[in-house]
Order: sequence, then structure tokens, then C-alpha cells
Amino acid sequence: MQVERAMAMDDWADLLAAANSGDARAYERFLLSVTPVLRGIVRARGHSLGEAGCEDVVQDVLLAIHLKRHTWTVGAPVRPWLYAITRYKVIDAFRARGRRIDLPLEDYSAELVADPGPDPTEAADMARLIAMLGERSATIVRKIGLEGATVAETGQSLRMSEGAVRVALHRALKALAVLRKRHVE
Amino acid sequence: MKTGTLIRALAADTALGRRPETLLLTGLLVSVGVMLLSLWLTLGFRADLAGAIGDPLSAFRFVLAGSLALISLRLIRDLTRPERAGRVRLWPLAVVLAAALAVMAWAALTTPPEAFRMALFGKTAVICLIAIPLLSLVPVAVIMAALRRGATTAPALAGGVAGLCGGGLAAMVYALYCTEKSPLFYVTWYGLGIIGVTLASALIGARLLRW
Repeated sequence: MQVERAMAMDDWADLLAAANSGDARAYERFLLSVTPVLRGIVRARGHSLGEAGCEDVVQDVLLAIHLKRHTWTVGAPVRPWLYAITRYKVIDAFRARGRRIDLPLEDYSAELVADPGPDPTEAADMARLIAMLGERSATIVRKIGLEGATVAETGQSLRMSEGAVRVALHRALKALAVLRKRHVE
Repeated sequence: MKTGTLIRALAADTALGRRPETLLLTGLLVSVGVMLLSLWLTLGFRADLAGAIGDPLSAFRFVLAGSLALISLRLIRDLTRPERAGRVRLWPLAVVLAAALAVMAWAALTTPPEAFRMALFGKTAVICLIAIPLLSLVPVAVIMAALRRGATTAPALAGGVAGLCGGGLAAMVYALYCTEKSPLFYVTWYGLGIIGVTLASALIGARLLRW
């Protein structure tokens, strides 16, 4: 178990390094593999939020990891970095919802265990916020996220260049993070 | 919306944010230039620049302000990283404070009673209290921008340290104008200027540096 988990961690460093140098598939694998762990942390602390509420917080954390992934340095351990971002966003999310939460600063080893529960996970906030993004941005996020379209396909159907879709997607995700903050506060 | 949906959208966005270090270093170099130029255009440099470093007790202000700026810069680098922000070491700042108070106490003991008032209040205390915060605007803005590129998990602290660094740099530049000699003067008034900048920056940081 210990060994298995240690291997998963090494894996995270490799995946994140590849992701940060532009490998979208490695990045998706990284996000998919950290999500259950994040969910474990959030659920262990926030039963009172309900399942959808917890998933909102998980999505907050994922968005934060996404927009701040350049602050991880290749070669540095992923775990403390990931935990620090998670802790910050979880405390923030709970405070915004009028609840207090106590997450230890140091002892993240015990926290980073994947939640064994199932993965149904529909969150409440995100769909509504995406709708606030503006027509084109919302369409791009939905096409790529929901329909699984590639950037190229999305560009074709919207008559945009691939580069323009990339820029719009990046801006949309940044705007989403701002909206989330403003919205829950 | 399902989390898997969000993850697919995130994974498709390969644009990476920029790291804070380059902005921090080039920005601070430019800020020092801007501060020197502003000082030169407004108050001007003191006529006898060599006199600024002639008297060790008087020149010690450069050591104090400079170490404040360097120690804070080091802290800022740590504070841009989420996993470091919770465990930065602030004690080196206390060493600078202790040194400042020590040199001030020494001056208090060696200044004759009839000269004490003049040594403490000088003639330019008000100018000092205005100039240091104004000069610090540029470096503090640069540091805040750099911190925003990072991911600090201690926004108020990071803001305060940004103020300390900018205030320290501003004090060093201001010292090229200032002809007040006594540590009684410069520890008090430079100190108050820097503390003001630090507190204001901490308040601003607490809002501006959240993400």
C-alpha cells in the first residue's frame, strides 16, 4: 500500500512535468488521478455541504490547480505543492459558505488518501457560472468538456482558428475562476 | 456539471501562466532606476554624496534598509510558492530591527542633551514621511504584480513583506537626498515610513493577492 502510493506520487511528478511542457493527455491523466484524492480531503471535512456542495469545492480546487500549475517546479515534490493549494482553496470555499474548517498545515500524508467511494459527482455551481461567461466562451467550454470535442473540431464548428479557440478557452477558464470567487462570496 | 467535464476542458487548455521570478527581478531593477530618477527630478541628491557614507554611524542606514530589502526579497520568492508560504522564517527581520534599535540607543546615549531634540526631529521629518511611501509605490506595485503571478497562500503576509521590501528600497534611495545624520532621526522617521508602507501593503495584499 505504502509502496503503491509512493509510486503513484512519482507518477504525479512525471505527469505534471509532461503536462506543463504541453502534453494535454498527460495533463488529463494527472487531473483524473488527483481528483479522487482531493475529493477524499473535501468529503472527510465537509459532510455538511452535501455531495454536490463538496463537488463544487473539488472543482474550485481543480480550477485553482489549473491556473497555478506553473508555480510547481520540475523536480520539486508534487504532494506538498498540491496539498498547499488544496488546503488554501478548501479553507476559502468553506469560509465563503459561512463555515469554518480546520486543516492541519503540516500533516498532509494522512490527508492524501483517495476516497474509496463511488464517483457520481454532479456539482451545482459550475454549469450556472459557465452560462454567465458569454455565448462564445460558454460554447467552447461545453463543446470541449461535455462533448469531448478537440480544439481543432471546436474551431471548425465555430469558424475560429485553433489558436483563437485556445486563447478563448484559457481566458474563459480564468474568467470562471474570477466568477466563482465573486459568486460564492 | 460533472467533474470529468471540467477536467476535459482544463486539459485542453495548454496555456501556462508565467512564473513570477523574471518580473520580480527585472521589475525591481527598473523600479530602482525610476526611484533614482524621481528623487533626482524632485528633491535632488545631496550635494556631498560622499558625505552620505563618510560617517559610519550615519551610513549604517544603508546597511539597515538594504538588508531589510534583501531579506524581504528572499521571503517574497518563497511566498510566491503555495507550499512555502505557510512556513517562511521571519526572524532575520527581527535581527534587523534589533540592530536598528541598538544603533538608535547608542546614539541616544552619546548625543548631548541639548542636541537631542534636533538630532531626533531634524528639519526634514515630514518630507521623509512623504517621500519614502511615494517612492515605494513603484517597487511595491511590481512586487504585488509578481506575487499575483505566483500562488501565495498567505496574502496579507505576502503584501506586508512586499511593503517592507519596497519601503526598504525607497529608504535607501531617499538616503541619497537626506542630510540628517543621527540614527535617532533615521531609525525613527525612515522606520515609521517603512512601517506605514508595510501596513498599507498588508491590507492591500489581503485583498489583491487572493486567488
